[in-house]
Amino acid sequence: MAGKKESTFINMVLVLFIITLVASAALGGLYELTKEPIAKAKLNKKLKAIEEVVPAFDNNPSEEMYEVAMPSGDKLEFYPATMGGKLVGTAVKTFTTNGFSGYVWVMVGFKPDGTVNNYSVLEHKETPGLGTKMADWFKPVDPTKVKLSLVEKLGKLVGIKPAATKGGAEGDKKSIVGKNPGTINFTVSKDGGDIDAITAATISSRAFLDAVQTAYNEYMKKNNNKEISHVGTHSSATSKQATNSNKEGGKS
Amino acid sequence: MNNMQNFTKGFFKENAVFVLLLGMCPTLGVTSSAINGLGMGLATTFVLIMSNLVISLVSTMIPDKVKIPSFIVIIASFVTIVDLVMAGYVPALHEQLGVFIPLIVVNCVVLGRAEAFASKNKLVPSIIDGAGMGLGFSMALTMLGAVREFFGTGKVFDFPIFKENYGMLVFVLAPGAFLALGYLIAIINRLRKA
Amino acid sequence: MNTKVLVAPSPHIHSGDSIQKNMYGVVFAMLPALLLSFFYFGMGAFIVTLTAVASCYLFEFSIQKYLLKVEPSIKDGSALITGILLAFNMPANLPIWIIIIGALVAIGIGKLTFGGLGNNIFNPALVGRVFLLISFPVQMTSWPKALGFETSYFDAETGATPLAIIKEGLNKGDSLTDLLAKLPSNVDMFLGNMGGSLGEVAGAALILGLIYMLFKKIITWHIPVSIIATVAIFSGILNLSNPEAYAGPAFHILTGGLLLGAIFMATDYVTSPMSNKGMIIYGIGIGILTVVIRVFGAYPEGVSFAILIMNGFVPLINVSVKPKRFGEKRK
Repeated sequence: MAGKKESTFINMVLVLFIITLVASAALGGLYELTKEPIAKAKLNKKLKAIEEVVPAFDNNPSEEMYEVAMPSGDKLEFYPATMGGKLVGTAVKTFTTNGFSGYVWVMVGFKPDGTVNNYSVLEHKETPGLGTKMADWFKPVDPTKVKLSLVEKLGKLVGIKPAATKGGAEGDKKSIVGKNPGTINFTVSKDGGDIDAITAATISSRAFLDAVQTAYNEYMKKNNNKEISHVGTHSSATSKQATNSNKEGGKS
Repeated sequence: MNNMQNFTKGFFKENAVFVLLLGMCPTLGVTSSAINGLGMGLATTFVLIMSNLVISLVSTMIPDKVKIPSFIVIIASFVTIVDLVMAGYVPALHEQLGVFIPLIVVNCVVLGRAEAFASKNKLVPSIIDGAGMGLGFSMALTMLGAVREFFGTGKVFDFPIFKENYGMLVFVLAPGAFLALGYLIAIINRLRKA
Repeated sequence: MNTKVLVAPSPHIHSGDSIQKNMYGVVFAMLPALLLSFFYFGMGAFIVTLTAVASCYLFEFSIQKYLLKVEPSIKDGSALITGILLAFNMPANLPIWIIIIGALVAIGIGKLTFGGLGNNIFNPALVGRVFLLISFPVQMTSWPKALGFETSYFDAETGATPLAIIKEGLNKGDSLTDLLAKLPSNVDMFLGNMGGSLGEVAGAALILGLIYMLFKKIITWHIPVSIIATVAIFSGILNLSNPEAYAGPAFHILTGGLLLGAIFMATDYVTSPMSNKGMIIYGIGIGILTVVIRVFGAYPEGVSFAILIMNGFVPLINVSVKPKRFGEKRK
């Protein structure tokens, strides 16, 4: 080809130098440009996870975040959410090492009395189709929100009713939402607890509940130290426990 | 070869995935759903068009002995651009595709087109070649993703076709990528010969 | 027939062997285990076996006739064996649509994609089973308890296999002695009184089949014996090193599909090595992989994965361990 540069030493150095210079300058500029959106996206993601698990709030939980170091070296992160200065809930980023394959990170939201408000699974490496079901398994099922598939819709047209989603009592035993780990045994029913494990994924279920329990224990420890309102909560918790045990006594 | 042929060859006759079997790493790695395949394909298309454009412009100025390193630097720059922009503006997709975005650098399709086409051709054909190859690659990845998503979870582009309980999980996992790709290649080969 | 004998030197007599004869011999050897599974799991076992065999035949016939457009080879009996083996690897309460998918994968992907009987690298029944195990882990790992005829197909009580109980218990931190106390005794396990797939529960019936096949010279002893011996030795060593963490040889041999795999799956003509030495290498590989997967892997059971992995090595074994040519000098 005409005008092709010879592969002399000086040519090679010069060309590579110019290319890398232009490339690094361009990337440096772009990095500055995208730095802000990237940081914002990261923050949004965290905020979204917090919003999902605690009641509506008007503060910035990330600013009031505090950490508790666990013996394993990892940290639990606490995000208090307040509405008009009053604590409405706390999102806890918690984890367990007992997953089917290592760490499971969960964001779980507690109401001030320690009742689970909602949760969201952040990160895990559980078996797809088994352990991964934890993302929705422990939430109550809302039959009105179940999306129908195309086949079911077509079936409906010709008069076949879609299978009803299990709600009610059976759905309740799976759900941890609205339950307090202080009064309800947060272990799988196979181990004598009150929560139904994911079918064929007992280990993942155990791990998940372990993460929630860890968060609850640390949360209550923290609350004991600084919340005055706690006394009231605690007594109500114990009275609940009392009624609970009464109920159980009656059953047996 | 006119521009039209130049563009369409990437879809069927010289499809990067189904015929040339290039770029297998993202093909097998990210196609667990149709949207992931499409996102990956479009990101690769952008890199292909831009690197073809720049390389066809500067190739005469690059001495032969430093051709490959220069191309790699140019390609890597565009990949980093895609990576940063996606992280900033489509964080959800960026997280899904994860490590496969930076790995576009080593995608054989990109360097292959730079070396085989852009460095020997003028600006316009190079852009057309990049667009054709890239969109063909996107088409293949989307098809593979749709097939795997359909059989694995009963959905296509997140639209439920049948109940997820009846999905065959293996298609969402790694072995399913090989199975689905193998049978798609078989079908395409049959069609090409017919 | 009056065709000429083309190869002259030694006198040749047709042994009467044919693919068909050997295949039906294998089926006959599987009968004790099959009947016992009907006894233990009742209607469920019958429905599963029937569906698996019928759909294997159907897929083999229709794919060959309409898709590949070749003469269907269903008469050779290999689809029957694949069907029964597939059923042997399934829990007795598996939904029918899953069984049909399994048969399609076994015949379509496992066998005919590779070019039909004789060309398949992997054991078709195992391909089907592993596909189902990964695809439908919930349904494939809820085994009905062996209760005899009262086990109904639809709502049988489910329970874990001994291997799964041990694996889960050890993960939880229970001691092995406590766990073993919960399990059926070795004698019960040998007779098949435990939870599991159709064909894996009855060790005694499987061994009866092995004796028949050895007697009829359908298979040689090399593969089954080397697999079982390797598992015994390897798990024995682990057991001696730490009796609280690793179960002993008897447990490993009697549970899971080990006997089923060693006797009926690993010995498949097409997917096992040709020479005796090769067969022993192959058997040792399966034995070691099985114990490694069971003890250290994520799944409680590893026989099917081990056999499939070693199936992949068979061409290499065949190349490197060739039988001596007649008249070749000893080194």
